[in-house]
Amino acid sequence: MFNNVKLSLFLASKSMMKGSKSTQLLIIFIMSLIFVNLVFIGSIFLGVTEATNNQVINSLYSNVVIEPKKDEKYISDVYSLEQKIKGVPGVVGISSQYVTGATLSYKDKHGTWTVRSIDPDDEMKVTTNHNYLIAGKYLSKLDKNEILLGKEIAGGYGGDLEYSSLGVKVGDSVDVLFDNGVKKSFRVKGIFDANFIQTNTMAYISQKEMESVVGLEDKASQMLVKTRDNGNEDRYIKQFLEMGIKEEIKPWTVYAGMVKNITNSFDMIAMMISAIGLFVAVITIFIIVYTSTISKRRQIGILRAVGIEESIIIQSYIFQAMFIVICGIFIGLIIIFFAIKPWFIEHPLKFPIGLASLLILPERVSMNAISLIIAALAAGFIPSWMAVRKTIIDAIWGE
Amino acid sequence: MTGDEKIIEIKNLSRIYAMGEVKVRALNNVTLDIKRGEFAAIMGKSGSGKSTLLHQLGLLDAPTSGEIVFGGKNISDISESEKARFRLLKFGYVFQEYALLPELTALENVYLPAMALGRKKEEYLKAGTQVLEQVGISEQADKLPALLSGGQQQRAAIARALANDPPLLLADEPTGNLDSHTSEAILQLFKSLAASGKTIVMVTHERDITTWVSSVVKLADGKVANGSGLYD
Repeated sequence: MFNNVKLSLFLASKSMMKGSKSTQLLIIFIMSLIFVNLVFIGSIFLGVTEATNNQVINSLYSNVVIEPKKDEKYISDVYSLEQKIKGVPGVVGISSQYVTGATLSYKDKHGTWTVRSIDPDDEMKVTTNHNYLIAGKYLSKLDKNEILLGKEIAGGYGGDLEYSSLGVKVGDSVDVLFDNGVKKSFRVKGIFDANFIQTNTMAYISQKEMESVVGLEDKASQMLVKTRDNGNEDRYIKQFLEMGIKEEIKPWTVYAGMVKNITNSFDMIAMMISAIGLFVAVITIFIIVYTSTISKRRQIGILRAVGIEESIIIQSYIFQAMFIVICGIFIGLIIIFFAIKPWFIEHPLKFPIGLASLLILPERVSMNAISLIIAALAAGFIPSWMAVRKTIIDAIWGE
Repeated sequence: MTGDEKIIEIKNLSRIYAMGEVKVRALNNVTLDIKRGEFAAIMGKSGSGKSTLLHQLGLLDAPTSGEIVFGGKNISDISESEKARFRLLKFGYVFQEYALLPELTALENVYLPAMALGRKKEEYLKAGTQVLEQVGISEQADKLPALLSGGQQQRAAIARALANDPPLLLADEPTGNLDSHTSEAILQLFKSLAASGKTIVMVTHERDITTWVSSVVKLADGKVANGSGLYD
């Protein structure tokens, strides 16, 4: 067995050393591009998915969302509920909010958007929107008649919905007509760009301000709960339920239907492109090995005539295919980790869901490499197996 | 050196090729024996079946019917793997057109069968060098076949056939592409190998071969011409 492998490697190495170096380098380069393509496509889609997930968590819903019980409009006893939840290990912040629809108008422009009320100190523990101010300042706990606008509402910052924006600047006064009919004027304190269109179409006012509008206290439309780690939301929800919380408790994923669709679509596209990439790799290797077996048909016959087993000859071609693919993978890894990844870190792609870079997971890279190696095995085996199927007479003296 | 022990027995061997709808009987019920240590020449006109017979003996092709018995074992219907083992251990095959592997040096071509046997590196290097010395081209060991003359290539091919010290050497017109001087040297080499105990079966067109060989088999139309098989 070991001797057969040794002999196959000997034959493969001699064949490759005798072959055209420039052609082999070109083939290896093609393999490296196929591998880069496999990794890149998967990684960019993963990156976009991750960016989308992060945006939903960091700027909209945090990890866990608590909503009023069925048939109730608000959560009651918010303060005591907050204290209860804060006691759960791993909970790093809670932001209780009123969420309402409102018509904002400035001069002759107006539009309907969602207005959320927040305690800015609590909100900063739960979302990262305070980091994305592009003009003015963030809300303070004691702010009165101050409003924070997403750039799609304010306008003037190159948003995707510029046509429907108000065209206001920091310091301008906007009129807000709440769903309950209350109308108030607010000074624009700040404008933010969270790089996420859903967040950028929201306005924020302070909790105290909203309570004066809705005429309620110690209530909330929703409570956002930030946990130390992402992905373990179900465990926290279980704990909250075990504590006797009767409100509706949902993970952020429930609100991310759009994200789920994007993720599913990206997975599908990535799979299709990967399959095409692998198919191209198989065809390329097949053609290379097939051409080689055709041009070396007589030599294959001679090898068999002197007593070299067919399996050794097949193995030698498989080793040649493997060499090409492994070199291609190695060069591909260099291209990915020393050129493409650093470039994308410096120049992330801008999507409506935010900035996305490559997310290169080692397990995905390994899977791509293994897929390519398996493809090489198959593509190396089939033509060499076909070649040794011929009779020795045909191989040596046939047409 | 020729004894009475049969090294190979051919019994009612036939080989029929199908060429479209036409069937060509290349060998027709050939029966003959070859004794250990014999230097036998197979002669006949083109198309008489002599190369086909050698292919059958070397297990390069399978007969349509009949048997080839080697050392008491019928080897005409053994598996491909067993055939490969036989070719490696029991037969050395010399082709008219040398059939060296172009990407291997003369020495590598020669030690390849020994390497395939699983011998240690120093052993197959030593064996390869020895047989190259035996055939008189040891100084060409590191050259690729393309850099060797026809005679040197044929000697390298003979060396390869001898690498595993097989009891039987099969040669298909080994002097066919060589000048008379080199042909004579190759025949001299075969004669000395036969003298040292090797059995040699050679297909040839050489008319004055009888001075070199111990027996001649004449084939015509796929049959042994004299009807009795081997004659001295």
